[in-house]
Amino acid sequence: MPDPIVQIRDLTKLYSHGELEVTALDHVTLAIRENEFVALMGPSGSGKSTLLHIIAGLDRPTSGDCLVRGINVGDLSETALAEWRNNHIGFVFQTFNLIPVLTAYENVELPLLLTKLSARERSEHVIAALALVGLSDRVRHLPRQLSGGQEQRVAIARALVTDPTLVVADEPTGNLDAHSAQEVLRLLQLLNQQAGKTIILVTHDPKAAAFAQRTIHLEKGQLLNGTGQPL
Amino acid sequence: MTIPGFILRNAFRNKRRLILTVLSVALSLFLFTTMQTALHELTQPPTSEAAALRIVVRNKVSLGNVLPAKYGPRLERLPGVRHVMKLTWFGGIYKDRANFFPQFAVDAPQLFPVFSEAEIAPKEVQDFVKEKNACVVGIKTMERFGWKIGDRITLQGTIWPCDPELIIRGVYRKGIDMTNLFFHHEYFDELMGNRGWVGTYWICAENAGGIPDLVERIDRTFANSDAETKTETERAFQLSFVSMFGNIKVLIGSISTVIVFTMLLVAASTMSMAIRERSREIAILKTIGFDGWQIFGLILAESFGLAAAGGLIGCFGAAILFRHLDIYSLSHGVLLKLEVTPSILAAGLTVAAFLGIVSCLVPAYSSIQTSVVVGLKELD
Repeated sequence: MPDPIVQIRDLTKLYSHGELEVTALDHVTLAIRENEFVALMGPSGSGKSTLLHIIAGLDRPTSGDCLVRGINVGDLSETALAEWRNNHIGFVFQTFNLIPVLTAYENVELPLLLTKLSARERSEHVIAALALVGLSDRVRHLPRQLSGGQEQRVAIARALVTDPTLVVADEPTGNLDAHSAQEVLRLLQLLNQQAGKTIILVTHDPKAAAFAQRTIHLEKGQLLNGTGQPL
Repeated sequence: MTIPGFILRNAFRNKRRLILTVLSVALSLFLFTTMQTALHELTQPPTSEAAALRIVVRNKVSLGNVLPAKYGPRLERLPGVRHVMKLTWFGGIYKDRANFFPQFAVDAPQLFPVFSEAEIAPKEVQDFVKEKNACVVGIKTMERFGWKIGDRITLQGTIWPCDPELIIRGVYRKGIDMTNLFFHHEYFDELMGNRGWVGTYWICAENAGGIPDLVERIDRTFANSDAETKTETERAFQLSFVSMFGNIKVLIGSISTVIVFTMLLVAASTMSMAIRERSREIAILKTIGFDGWQIFGLILAESFGLAAAGGLIGCFGAAILFRHLDIYSLSHGVLLKLEVTPSILAAGLTVAAFLGIVSCLVPAYSSIQTSVVVGLKELD
């Protein structure tokens, strides 16, 4: 069995709103193996997005550890964390979040501007990523000239172009029609099965979670076991 | 695509705002350049080797008080003095008050030895000197009124109760203010009934090194007399003349500061709006690996670029425009020309750079301080 690529140990996240303290994650312990496709499910406010943000290095835990490939993400400085995200994380958002003034090609190329790749090498990576998501014929299109499904596929290409350790997707089908949602989920499944990508998908749609190999349930910041009880 | 290309795309995303921002910076820098150039023209009169040798003797009380004509021979006898010339401001009207131009009564034979940098044909100098009611006129005033040599003109006195009738015998070009008219002091004295009054004495010294001593000796010579003198170099005299309008430096400096500060607020407001609209994209950039300082650099470069573009248009626009405009006519003779010097251009572009950098500091710093999670929440 492959080693865990993500190891979360006794992780707690508290948010303070004035005097009020909210527990977003409550002593969570979790391991995700390499090449695994995991769905994080739970109702709104359950802490699934917070957990995803901590794994992706966008937020820091209040206590506990989050190790990705053995690196404790919470210990990195802001600058080191940004570089780490560029190298190890591909993020797919619910609202696509493409830069509106850039073409599909340029949006996908954006993370590569931070690398030392030459223009020719960047071009090869971008063309390959867009081909992988089936958008080789849309490279010069601006986001507004694409459908929602196509925009999300460009976003997936942008997430993949740096060949990241982890692809994290936060409700990637939330803004799509049923047909486009199926296409995007199949694409993520394909990336996991054929390209061996480790994927963490946050969703509250059981149909979307069905594409994953394993589903982890969260409620009130705690992981649930198979019977719906906190672990 | 490159990082500079990305910055350009961001700058051009709202073309109307881009054009308005650049134009507002350009207009402000145009005004700033104009102010500084006007100040330079007023306070830094053109200097030449001959001008460095000239000193002006006037009544210590004020420029409006005259000096006795008998001072002339005493000044001529002082060691270190090469030429002495009477020069009295006439300030008359030619046909209409709107036709203002400077007129002076001078010692005709001394005029061109004292103002040796003026360019005039020797024959015209001879004609001017030998005829009592002759005058010489600068080329700009000649062109302004369409005069030619031999024309007769009458000046109507306003300060002095006389109306000189003059014949133009010469035209000078370059060297000294090309709007002036000079006529014989002897003729002026005759019209005034030989009262023995002189406005100022202009002296050409033997050498520049002896000027400080000469200035002191002249004032000492006439100390404790009815008309004590104040002697100064031509440059100092012109500066004191300008200061009669008030403290021009402070006035123009204050207006320039207000222009720059107002523009700073406008630019800061524009950049704040532009960055606030993009807070979602800034969060995305952070997510894909841009760190805070890289984003700060992107914003700074965009802001600097906009301000620099406005600065270049405003400063060089002013330089090009002033080169092709007849500043003398437009300023009704107050300014001969407006020359945007390299130091003024450098000052204008520095102000533009300052605007570009300072206007984005607060919004850019605030945006890099915002956590990615907060930025991402804003878009949902």
